[in-house]
Amino acid sequence: MAEEFSPKKKTYVEDIERTLYDIRDEDRSAYKTHSGLTKDIILDISKRKHDPEWMTEFRLKALETYNSMPLPTWGPDISELNMDEIVTYVQPDAKMTGNWQEVPEDIKNTFDRLGIPEAEQKQSLAGVGAQYDSEVVYHSIQEDLVKQGVIYTDMETALWEHGDIVREYFMTLVPPKDHKFTALHGAVWSGGSFVYVPEGVHVEIPLQSYFRLNAAGAGQFEHTLIIVEKDASLHFIEGCSAPKYNVTNLHAGCVELFVKEGARLRYSTIENWSRNMMNLNTKRAIVEKDGIIEWVSGSFGSHVSCLYPCSILHGENARCEFTGVTFASKGQNLDTGASVIHAAPHTSANINTRTISKAGGAATYRSAVKVTRNAPFAKCSVNCESLMLDSESRSDTLPVMDIEGDEADIGHEAKIGRISDEAIFYLTSRGIDEEEARAMIVRGFVEPIAKELPLEYAVEMNNLVNIELEGTMG
Amino acid sequence: MSQLLEIKDLVAGVEGKSILKGLSLSVGKGEVHVILGPNGSGKSTLMNVIMGHPKYEVTGGSIAFEGEDIADLKTFERAKKGLFLSFQTPEEIPGITVENMLRTAKQAITGEKVKIVPFRRQLKALMEELKMKPEYAERYLNVGFSGGEKKRTEILQLLMLNPKLAMLDETDSGLDVDAVQIVSEGVAKFHNEENSCLIITHNTRILEKLKVDKVHVLMNGEIVEEGGPELIEEINSQGFTHILDRHSEGK
Amino acid sequence: MEKKIFSRIPMRTWRWLGVNEARAPENIDSEIKNKQILVERETEESLVLTHREAGSYEVQIHLEAGARLNLVLAQLTPADAAYTCRVRAHVADGAELHYTVVEAGAHETVTELYVDLVGKESKADVWGLYLGDGDERIDMNYVIRQSGKLTDANMQVRGALLGESEKIFRGTLDFLEGSTGSVGRENEEVTLLSPKVRNRSVPIMLSHEADVDGHHAVSVGKMDENKLFYLMSRGLDLAEAQRLVVEASFRPVLDRIADTALQEEIDTFLMRRLANG
Repeated sequence: MAEEFSPKKKTYVEDIERTLYDIRDEDRSAYKTHSGLTKDIILDISKRKHDPEWMTEFRLKALETYNSMPLPTWGPDISELNMDEIVTYVQPDAKMTGNWQEVPEDIKNTFDRLGIPEAEQKQSLAGVGAQYDSEVVYHSIQEDLVKQGVIYTDMETALWEHGDIVREYFMTLVPPKDHKFTALHGAVWSGGSFVYVPEGVHVEIPLQSYFRLNAAGAGQFEHTLIIVEKDASLHFIEGCSAPKYNVTNLHAGCVELFVKEGARLRYSTIENWSRNMMNLNTKRAIVEKDGIIEWVSGSFGSHVSCLYPCSILHGENARCEFTGVTFASKGQNLDTGASVIHAAPHTSANINTRTISKAGGAATYRSAVKVTRNAPFAKCSVNCESLMLDSESRSDTLPVMDIEGDEADIGHEAKIGRISDEAIFYLTSRGIDEEEARAMIVRGFVEPIAKELPLEYAVEMNNLVNIELEGTMG
Repeated sequence: MSQLLEIKDLVAGVEGKSILKGLSLSVGKGEVHVILGPNGSGKSTLMNVIMGHPKYEVTGGSIAFEGEDIADLKTFERAKKGLFLSFQTPEEIPGITVENMLRTAKQAITGEKVKIVPFRRQLKALMEELKMKPEYAERYLNVGFSGGEKKRTEILQLLMLNPKLAMLDETDSGLDVDAVQIVSEGVAKFHNEENSCLIITHNTRILEKLKVDKVHVLMNGEIVEEGGPELIEEINSQGFTHILDRHSEGK
Repeated sequence: MEKKIFSRIPMRTWRWLGVNEARAPENIDSEIKNKQILVERETEESLVLTHREAGSYEVQIHLEAGARLNLVLAQLTPADAAYTCRVRAHVADGAELHYTVVEAGAHETVTELYVDLVGKESKADVWGLYLGDGDERIDMNYVIRQSGKLTDANMQVRGALLGESEKIFRGTLDFLEGSTGSVGRENEEVTLLSPKVRNRSVPIMLSHEADVDGHHAVSVGKMDENKLFYLMSRGLDLAEAQRLVVEASFRPVLDRIADTALQEEIDTFLMRRLANG
């Protein structure tokens, strides 16, 4: 008889090993607002954060916008989210410091487990920011970068020490009226990182900010603002995680990236929120002449995610490279993708994504490529591939291309399917057992993305893709 | 002494359609056998069945390798026993590099951890002999390879994994003269008195450097004629029809 | 007055792109010209529908097991016409729908195609062609739902836009749970021939079944310069060369029209408009 490795047998990928992320600290916050969202709460947050006056006004205006806006009519169901139950501001019992020894022990232990201080010590990071709930508890940057004029600090410090710059840029690229959750962000934002790289300065080693949400039922609304001046370059890494709770947590962060003429910014994210997180995050970059934005985005965690980093190619020859991987498992609805707006001649973009869905998870690739009339000779190529490991899961692809003018060159390609039986046969015919062959193929599927990740994250991602085959063989 | 490969009365097919209809064939140790036959006669099916492709259903007969019935073995177990198939159209597998695949396979077959330095040295040397650029080791398996590059990669695997029986399914088809030369030198380098070859070909050039022991003519799922290397000559000049005629007269 | 929604995509996206729904023209004659086609079990039928008048059309197709329909629909309404057409097809076990549609006329064209591949081994082979010029608006929403096992969907669309025309093409392949072993292919190629055109393409692929093989591709752009150069090196001027290249991209669709008189009529009609553009 022919052997029984039925080609229709399903592959099961074990759930991501989350123990590391799931260790939660006792809630010892110094202060928490009441849950819900009112003018008083906003005023309270603003006062406690010692906002300058313009920021208090900004928050109140954003709150009005929030109240006047409807929920989105597309995308995953977010009806489980009840804003009246979300605590928008949780102040940790710690002061911002540049010395890990001064960080309270349990908080420091959390970041130790996540490997942050270790990476910093090994000099694989040139600067580190660590946020715990609503406030940044640690920030540091290498001395030689400071000498070159590089600023890397928490948003609160930036608001006072570099107020003019912040005011010039803050929420200009992602205005509160963009959608309901950016309005919310504008009203309650807290924490996040501010990076300023002066003209011509190359930050050779990455900076990393890590966002950790410990409090149950809370929201995290950090704001990341990065300005890379003319001919400068930077690699910024963002990591996020949270322990699992039975109540809904909300993440509505905002990232604004300004890439000036001839500058280059690589923005890498590994998101591994727990499965009770609503991750409604907004990221946008504006790229001037000859500038380059590179996004590397890994979405593994959260219950619901809506994440579509947007690149506005504003100057001639501006370029965007987007690389993304999404892994949706049981109880997850991950709606991810990218958008690119070509607004100047000869702009170009490459979007390359992989999604895997399994065990009833739903993964959606959603994108928009817009070529305006001002962007002759725009070039964009999109490639997205989806792998489904079983039929309980969903995998959807919904790209839109909107092209004006006749000088554009736009290509889009998408594939959906399962692991090919012929590929399995080929590998097993070389002596590799079926289980390992499947694992190799799944790892190979995400490899083009994994190789763009910083090494430790690539290793982590490979660990996430641990394969188990249903039943025994033969 | 028992044969290396012994197939008896093999009946196999796909989706209820029978393709091999009681085929018998045996290959001794150290021998080189050639299978000839018109398109659709079942040559590739035979090799896939020997290798244990799950698409094909075996409904009769037996396949023994080194005296042991292998019909119940899974594909990777057959590979570990020393069977190797050089595919007619090798799969493209994105994300897995040639080197990674070979190292994993070698480890699986030998059951020992492969030492990276000698492994790389051997790989590099063989690639050089097969006139493959060294960067191909780091490329994804067959992805974007030309026909000739794919076949050379198959031969590279043959030489690295060093099986007891090499089945070559039209390894020389679609190749230019130089490429056939490289491939046939590769096969000649592989072959010695300790291993055997079973070759499907339309091209005699690949056989020039080998001593062919036996030729089997496969038609309509059966072996209709067996003989020495002279059969190749005969078919090249007269085609298959006269053999079919002879066969039906014989019946 | 808000225009009436005529058709929607199966999964919504950002509103600012304006592709979630197709709206019927304001001045449309709402009386529906209905056509029903039933092809009985194990029979084959070939049919040509030529729509030459403005208005609202509907075509309902029911293919019984093993039936085969070759349907050609040519829309050649006058240049000022408002036109809508809704085609729905039910395809049973082993039945095949071969559908060729040419959207060549009308000032405003809004169409919907819904094919349900319900039967095992049912098949839909859809080839569409559109040409927009002047300030024409073409809005299409094609959906093939694959619910049977081993179904086969193929959606091939070719188009060209001239003048200040605008077009939206939404093409969905929807693999429902249980459509094991099904395959789907979707491909749109659009040639843009004027700086004032606007093209929106929405290739959607939805899947609730792992054992499928789906693929879609879109290419939007101006003409291949190498092809143009080649033709011009043989003595053609730019306009002639362009016309030839567009015609070549239309060819696979036009060749499916067996009625040579109609094929010629459409060809002439398209070429005249291309020449004027």
